[in-house]
Amino acid sequence: MSEVLKNLSDGLASVVETASPGIVRVEARRRMPGSGIVWSSDGVIVTAHHIIERTENIQIGLQDGTVVPATFVGRDPNTDLAVLRVDANLNPPAWSDADDLKVGHLVLALGRPGENVQATLGVVSAIEEEQIEERRRQRHGGHGEHGGRGGGRGGRGRWGEFRPAPAGGIAIQTDVVMYPGFSGGPLVDAAGFVRGMNTSAMSRGTSLTIATPAVRRVIESLLSHGKVKRGYLGIGAQPVRLPAAISKELEQEIGLMLVSVEEGSPAEKGGLLLGDILVGLDEYPVQVVDELLMLLNSDRVGKEVVAHIIRGGQLQDVKLTVGERE
Amino acid sequence: MGSLMSNLLQELNDELAEVTTKVRRSLVQITNGRGGAGAGTIWHSDGLIVTNAHVVAGHRTLNITLSTGETLPAKILALDQGLDLAAISVDAKNLPTIEPGDSRQLRAGQWVMSLGHPWGILNAATGGVVISMGSRVGDMESQNGQEWLAVNLHLRPGHSGGPLVDAEGRLIGVNTMMNGPEVGVAIPVHVVKAFLKDVLGRKESSEPVGSVQTV
Repeated sequence: MSEVLKNLSDGLASVVETASPGIVRVEARRRMPGSGIVWSSDGVIVTAHHIIERTENIQIGLQDGTVVPATFVGRDPNTDLAVLRVDANLNPPAWSDADDLKVGHLVLALGRPGENVQATLGVVSAIEEEQIEERRRQRHGGHGEHGGRGGGRGGRGRWGEFRPAPAGGIAIQTDVVMYPGFSGGPLVDAAGFVRGMNTSAMSRGTSLTIATPAVRRVIESLLSHGKVKRGYLGIGAQPVRLPAAISKELEQEIGLMLVSVEEGSPAEKGGLLLGDILVGLDEYPVQVVDELLMLLNSDRVGKEVVAHIIRGGQLQDVKLTVGERE
Repeated sequence: MGSLMSNLLQELNDELAEVTTKVRRSLVQITNGRGGAGAGTIWHSDGLIVTNAHVVAGHRTLNITLSTGETLPAKILALDQGLDLAAISVDAKNLPTIEPGDSRQLRAGQWVMSLGHPWGILNAATGGVVISMGSRVGDMESQNGQEWLAVNLHLRPGHSGGPLVDAEGRLIGVNTMMNGPEVGVAIPVHVVKAFLKDVLGRKESSEPVGSVQTV
């Protein structure tokens, strides 16, 4: 027998071993601990926002078994990223910003829910940018299918329906199964490079990884400002079912009716009125508030956007300048 | 480059099939006369088979079917419900045995394959990697220090008692259960060895290591 399978097997295990010192256990919630990845040797750790249930008394478990306290630096719910800092010298894994990961590539998801690093294997299923292109085609190509969370494809997760690029970066969809405590751990390629941070935002067998360039942007923002800039329009909104004719034209069943418009806000300055129904922003459909929040990321702060609204039964476009949420 | 890659994949596929073929020879099906079925692995050529206790416990009638299709009655030699291991035997000689591997040397990420008869589909193979080893798997923690092997494989009824093998087709565990919907759990082969040594000490040590030679 030749040695391809054995070499593959040994190669996978070596990748895990090499990355292992840079993967930590993050104890910041009552249930099972999560995972984190060392960002830099001076003690910066990136992890998943949703596993940080407390910002005091956070403990980090290291490769050698020691446990050290961490301070909370900041978080960005938009990308499910959080940054912690420990007073210790750490071994960062080899992070890669490369964009050469392709659908079909083998990848490992690693985590440290307990003492030791754990691993699982999968294949890249999709790259975020392709998803966005697909959604654009659906919206403008006329055979779209973006059923709302209410009546849409049913049961898909938060990221399943609609995925604007997190913080302008890309995300990687894989078929790896995120086991309990794997959130915040790395997605590692066959050469051992960390391609991003895994979140447990699973939907029907796909898992999501925030790609390294997006991770980098968020970490840099959190380290310098303690937060990530978020867009602000100044509206209160509620999902409503659209009139049948418009629903058919847009191939979209739900929109956001404005139930308040704050004085002096970007929405008021742009001319949005109570009762307008927001159905899209730039080239993206908007059906629920979460989608709007994801679109109002740091890239859009201070920029002009086109809001697609229904007013008096007619579709129209309104230009707005996105403000910054304080 | 393209053709090099496809050659490599081809080779990989060939090797996966080769490992499967090799392991299948010592894979048996165990039926208990009530429609229930599990898997087992031939440990000794003189008819010793290892499986899970839950596959055989409480059944008077046990039959095993060899990879050749031959069916033989089997009897239980030893049972440990705590470990969920059983040793059974059939009256046969020169059976194809599995080569034992070393479950103490396993590393997370290593390639593994499980063989068995999931949902009654005979001699099926499935592949994945080692997630972790130890006495804790997910939220399942062993009270008596028993060790487990967690793999990213979906083990199904009919896999129980069958072999979990490494990239070279060596036995590293006995397929045993699922922990949650996604994590397969096996008993490491060093635990199986200790069990056999414990309950069948003499049999284990009397296995000839070479053929008898006249001088």
